[in-house]
Amino acid sequence: MKILIVDDSSTMRRIIINTLSRIGYTDVVEGENGKSGLEKLGQGGVEMIITDWNMPEMDGLEFVKTVRGQNAAIPILMVTTNAAKEDIVEALQAGVNNYVVKPFTPETLKEKIESLLG
Amino acid sequence: MDQSEIDALLAGGGKTPKKAKTAAKGPAVAAAPASTVSSEPHQDGNGHVISELDTVTSVTERESNKVMDQLDQISQLVSRQQQLVTDMMRHEGAQSPGVQKAIHEVMSASKEIQDKVFEAMDLMQFQDITRQKLERIVHHLRQIHDYIVDLLGTGLKSDTERPSISHTIAQTGTTPDENKAHADAVIEAFKSQKKG
Repeated sequence: MKILIVDDSSTMRRIIINTLSRIGYTDVVEGENGKSGLEKLGQGGVEMIITDWNMPEMDGLEFVKTVRGQNAAIPILMVTTNAAKEDIVEALQAGVNNYVVKPFTPETLKEKIESLLG
Repeated sequence: MDQSEIDALLAGGGKTPKKAKTAAKGPAVAAAPASTVSSEPHQDGNGHVISELDTVTSVTERESNKVMDQLDQISQLVSRQQQLVTDMMRHEGAQSPGVQKAIHEVMSASKEIQDKVFEAMDLMQFQDITRQKLERIVHHLRQIHDYIVDLLGTGLKSDTERPSISHTIAQTGTTPDENKAHADAVIEAFKSQKKG
């Protein structure tokens, strides 16, 4: 299972990659904003997306909307500091399947990923 | 800021530290006559504070990655140690109950170290959260700066318009469990509303 991680913070990408490897997902590709995320997605093989919201150039919400315009099925998990109810609802309306607020525990990430993968 | 950056700063003839002193007098910008404010935005106190904050965020990200590198190395060393101990357990000479007990204790301690390393890695999330909070401060500083420039009628706003990429992080700082419960409740409500 190839997972695309889109986050402008290299530290955060490492934390997510580390958590994923602990729960058995080691095939990972990275993007540092929505724009590079779309490029990586275009290269094919991605079966799940974990994206941040606040990023330069193209933010996570715009990225999700663009992805949903091309692919309605791919599971998308948003991992962000945006904790306001309106933000969560806006993300869900844009097409996010699930939502994690930073800081998160590895257990939360695992639970959300597993629920998305059914 | 590391030693090489300090050295570079010092090599620059100490001009930048002088700017830092000016920056400390930030509020004086508002009281100054319009003619003194009409310098380039990054030459004044506010602009300097902004670039300082930018530097802080990039340096902390780089340093956080160094910490992550160290933690990765510790993790790999512990894994190697666990492998060696596992091999040792199969050795003929290690079959006595006393040795086996000692080996199990070593394995247990290794697991604890590994868990603590993972925990420390997870705690590094603070860097991203702090960075976003600083970006928000930078955004507000820019707005204040532009407001003052408008007020004084110089017409010189920040040269680079960089909207805050941080939306609403007011609720960060709560525990991960509280965050999860909050997000889950909103998701559930959204799903129910959609079904209804």
